[in-house]
Amino acid sequence: MKLPDTQVALLEAASATDAKTVAQLAEQLGADPAAVTRAAFELEDAGLLAVDEDVAESDALTAEGERYLEDGLPERRLYEAALEAGADGAPVEMGRVIGEAGLDGEAVDIALSNFARKGLGEIDTGELVADPVAAETDPEAEALAAVADGSGGTQDPGVLDRLEARGLLERRETTVRSVTLSDDGVTALMQGVEAAETVGAVTPDLLSSGEWRDVEFAEYDVAADAETIAGGKEHILRQTANRVKDVLVGMGFREMAGPHADADFWINDCLFMPQDHPARTHWDRFALDVPPMAPEDLPDLADRVAEAHRHGVGEHGDGYHSPWDEAFARAVALRGHTTSLSMRYLSGHRAHGPDARSRNPRSEDLAGDLEPPQRYFSVEKVYRNDTLDPTHLLEFFQIEGWVMAEDLSVRDLMGTFTEFYDAFGITDLEFKPHYNPYTEPSFELFGEHPETGESIEIGNSGIFREEVLRPLGVDCDVMAWGLALERLLMLIYGFEDVRDVHGTLCDLELLRDVEVVA
Amino acid sequence: MPVVEVDPDELRRLTGEPDRSEAELKADLFGLGIEYEGETDDGAFELEFAPDRLDRLSVEGIARSLRYQYGEDRGVYIPDTTDADWTIEVEDSVPDERPYVTGAIVRGLDLGKAELESLIQLQEKLHATMGRQRAKGAIGVHDLTMLKPAGDTADDKHIIYRGVEPEADTFVPLDDDAERTPAGVLAEHPVGDTYGHLVADIERYPAIYDAVGLFSFPPVINGRRTEVEASTRDLFVEMTGTDQWTIDRMLTIVCYALDARGGQVEAVDVEYGDRTLHRPDLSTTTKAVSHERIESTLGVDLAGETVLDLMERAGLDATTGGDAAGRGAASGAPADDAVEDVELEDVPTRTADTRSDAPDSGPADGSAAAGASTADETGLTYEVEIPPYRVDVRHPMDVVDDVGRAYGFNDLEPRYPDVATVGGRTRASRLEDAARDALVGLGFEDLLNFHLTSEPALFDRMGLSPDADAVGAREPPVITEPYSEDYTVVRTWALPSLVQVLENNTHRAYPQDLAEIGLVAAEDHDRPTNVVEHRSVAAVLARADASYEDAKARLQAVARAFGTELSTPPIDHPSFIDGRTAVVVLDGEAVGVVGELNPRVLVEHDLEVPVAGFEFPLDGLR
Repeated sequence: MKLPDTQVALLEAASATDAKTVAQLAEQLGADPAAVTRAAFELEDAGLLAVDEDVAESDALTAEGERYLEDGLPERRLYEAALEAGADGAPVEMGRVIGEAGLDGEAVDIALSNFARKGLGEIDTGELVADPVAAETDPEAEALAAVADGSGGTQDPGVLDRLEARGLLERRETTVRSVTLSDDGVTALMQGVEAAETVGAVTPDLLSSGEWRDVEFAEYDVAADAETIAGGKEHILRQTANRVKDVLVGMGFREMAGPHADADFWINDCLFMPQDHPARTHWDRFALDVPPMAPEDLPDLADRVAEAHRHGVGEHGDGYHSPWDEAFARAVALRGHTTSLSMRYLSGHRAHGPDARSRNPRSEDLAGDLEPPQRYFSVEKVYRNDTLDPTHLLEFFQIEGWVMAEDLSVRDLMGTFTEFYDAFGITDLEFKPHYNPYTEPSFELFGEHPETGESIEIGNSGIFREEVLRPLGVDCDVMAWGLALERLLMLIYGFEDVRDVHGTLCDLELLRDVEVVA
Repeated sequence: MPVVEVDPDELRRLTGEPDRSEAELKADLFGLGIEYEGETDDGAFELEFAPDRLDRLSVEGIARSLRYQYGEDRGVYIPDTTDADWTIEVEDSVPDERPYVTGAIVRGLDLGKAELESLIQLQEKLHATMGRQRAKGAIGVHDLTMLKPAGDTADDKHIIYRGVEPEADTFVPLDDDAERTPAGVLAEHPVGDTYGHLVADIERYPAIYDAVGLFSFPPVINGRRTEVEASTRDLFVEMTGTDQWTIDRMLTIVCYALDARGGQVEAVDVEYGDRTLHRPDLSTTTKAVSHERIESTLGVDLAGETVLDLMERAGLDATTGGDAAGRGAASGAPADDAVEDVELEDVPTRTADTRSDAPDSGPADGSAAAGASTADETGLTYEVEIPPYRVDVRHPMDVVDDVGRAYGFNDLEPRYPDVATVGGRTRASRLEDAARDALVGLGFEDLLNFHLTSEPALFDRMGLSPDADAVGAREPPVITEPYSEDYTVVRTWALPSLVQVLENNTHRAYPQDLAEIGLVAAEDHDRPTNVVEHRSVAAVLARADASYEDAKARLQAVARAFGTELSTPPIDHPSFIDGRTAVVVLDGEAVGVVGELNPRVLVEHDLEVPVAGFEFPLDGLR
């Protein structure tokens, strides 16, 4: 029979008649008691050994107890110093005795209280008298020494209790295991037991020599926790954005890109937002302190946009009764929505956005007019000048999508969005008629929260007005919708404070521990 | 979005539905797109809605919409108006900045406290919306009996709109006891702070006079003499502003509300030097809407009479014409002989979805009823008459929307548009993802920081001067009116954001290896927007033994993954340690920086471990 080293040694050291404790065996074998215990259980499982368990009480000194064993109990030191100073005759000033005893800190209080308790002398108004006939031996000091050499059991239990109360002694219950050989164990020994070789690691030598065939690998504690590593992970909001992109690309949508800082013309005027609309006032808009776009950089269609604002579009169209100023249209701001990209694409003026490596920065990538049908999307950042709170950020991701085709209906819009939201487990969409300056009809989308079941707003949509499309040169229908990506994320994950995730206040632990999107 | 407070009992009384339960009422309102937001302490509903139907800014307007919804009213309603007795004379002295005025008289009102409060709320809400905080239009409501006509004869009853010098006259304003000049009101009366800026730069202030003298100082405050009380029976309503159409529409909405309260609207003539206007202008406008457009927008087939019925239920009147051509841009013109009146059936009908050119247009509307018209609706056009309180109808499509709402958009069956397109991502976005994958594969935690930050975060705290010749040192686009001092500029580089994340996470386990690919920008007058933008790749390694070597090893791995040639000649950068910093040169172009962060920067961010990092533009990897 081949057994691991420790088991072989243990088997050989054990007796069939005389139970031996694990501690004794470990000492005898010069092995780690834990390894011996493990080996004993393994041999018991194999039926070669019997393991008995007894609960034994054992005493051990605490660190403080060990110190007093070495230096003497503080009260004894005080007493001896007092005798030395002649305090057995006349009272001696206490401070002096303490100093001579070498006591300081806590030890002073300990010394004084035990001094009095043990009747070693008297203390009165700062002076100390030692009792010369006090016992020369101290049961507590003796008990301390006895515990230290393992014979604590011979001491007076009352004294031991006192030591424990003083925090010098710790009493523990320990399980003492002892082993005896079983009949099978005896038989196995008689038939001969050999040690099997165990190795720690697979090495090139082991492999090339073929020795691996004859070795046994040392066992690991495979159930124990391993070292914690964070690993790299794509940001949770990026994962969500990419999932949205996957869904949209699968539905036939092409991605848009374009500038974050843009002329108000593309951000608002093209969208038929009157210039005196409250959303275009300074407190909602992220105006930038840069010069306005040059008049020659405003596209030709600006005249048509201005005309739509002033007089409407079509025979029966009316404009806004609001001023329209080209200078305002040229002012540069951070976009409040990515609909500015939709306007650029629909008009065939897609500008170079981030990453464009143009040698001629003023040249615009004129894509030309788009012919229906088209589907486009973007999942990009937009900016709102607002206070930061758990659900509102100054910048967030907007999912923007649109479909261009002949004769689109409200039903097509509903069908498209039903399909999109279904991919995220949001069903039973409700379409609440709404108003946007740039779409008609317009709908707020409401959906059921997958967890809570409540009805929540999940987007805004509509069919672009002719006042938006005709100046851009688009003659067919375009339906569009927008949604905050963070809203979708919070819906899917149930986050309550979006700032934990997005921005420099983010919590790394949360990002490391969050589940990946699948 | 406007919020209006409405007493539900008032609403029940005005709609003639006294037994409507609270729940039913809320559901009815939701149907109009009006959301119940809560209740005031007095039990009034707080109702929120989109700012298109400004005729619903009062309980009277909401009640009118509900009556249409209940079918108790149909078609266009125009209040009766008696002939003008009073005239507003506009003098040449009126300031150019506020040239327009309009007005009306409403008699025989029996205003209680509730009615008066409703009128005041309507006035405030119109100021906040159409009136653009009184800049574009301001309303003054006066007790008519307190006015003494300024005419020479008994028949000539007029009041005068003129401009006065700021100190030239006095009156006692509302909520005050003292005689004040207009300038004195701006300086001493509480309203001066709120509305003073609207007239501050005007040479002559707008003022309205009767025979007694100045009684209104628009758009700031009325005089106390003509103050309206619950006992007031006859009102004089005037509005001034920067646009005639806007103040006329505001006046129309007020007249409709007072008419609903039993008042008799009486016209007022507004005499400008070159023309006289008869106000209020309660004339309707007309839009031609094609049947085809309605069907294609809703995606269902409808019988002509159904459409007419839906329009009447939306408070519109419509007649049909055979062909849109030749009908022209008629507005308010009576229908000509070619217009045939369609007889309406008592029960509104809808047709089944039988459009022959759309066989796959989804299941037929389950609620479709019998009675479909078999008439050929090709070329059918409706002449739709729109009441004057509808300030939101600009285009025939707005009428289509009304028809859709009356039909019930939620009754439409969704269908996926049968249109084939090819999807795809931009090259830039695919490159960004590939680079992010590479960084994550190297063990970096991918981060997402704000593009907005502050100049101290970008420069001072990084030990960098904005005009240094170094990566990150560029002129950032500055936000004109920032909300918070932490977010005042668009970042010029991304590394400071990562260092801030390290700063905020010193209590979390190390190593902290962070990376981000995100927008950076700078002012650049060679760009049309005067801002240059690009995506930047930034990474930091924070750990007890982080070194230049660690950063460069990862930078090399990224460059190799993209087949880009990397070299790193030495350079000094104020944010990094001299002698442990290099230029990132990708394919021969110096684009970024790599190195160990200067201890000055670490200490500034309360970091107690070394940090190595790099930053370069994403398009360096192309």
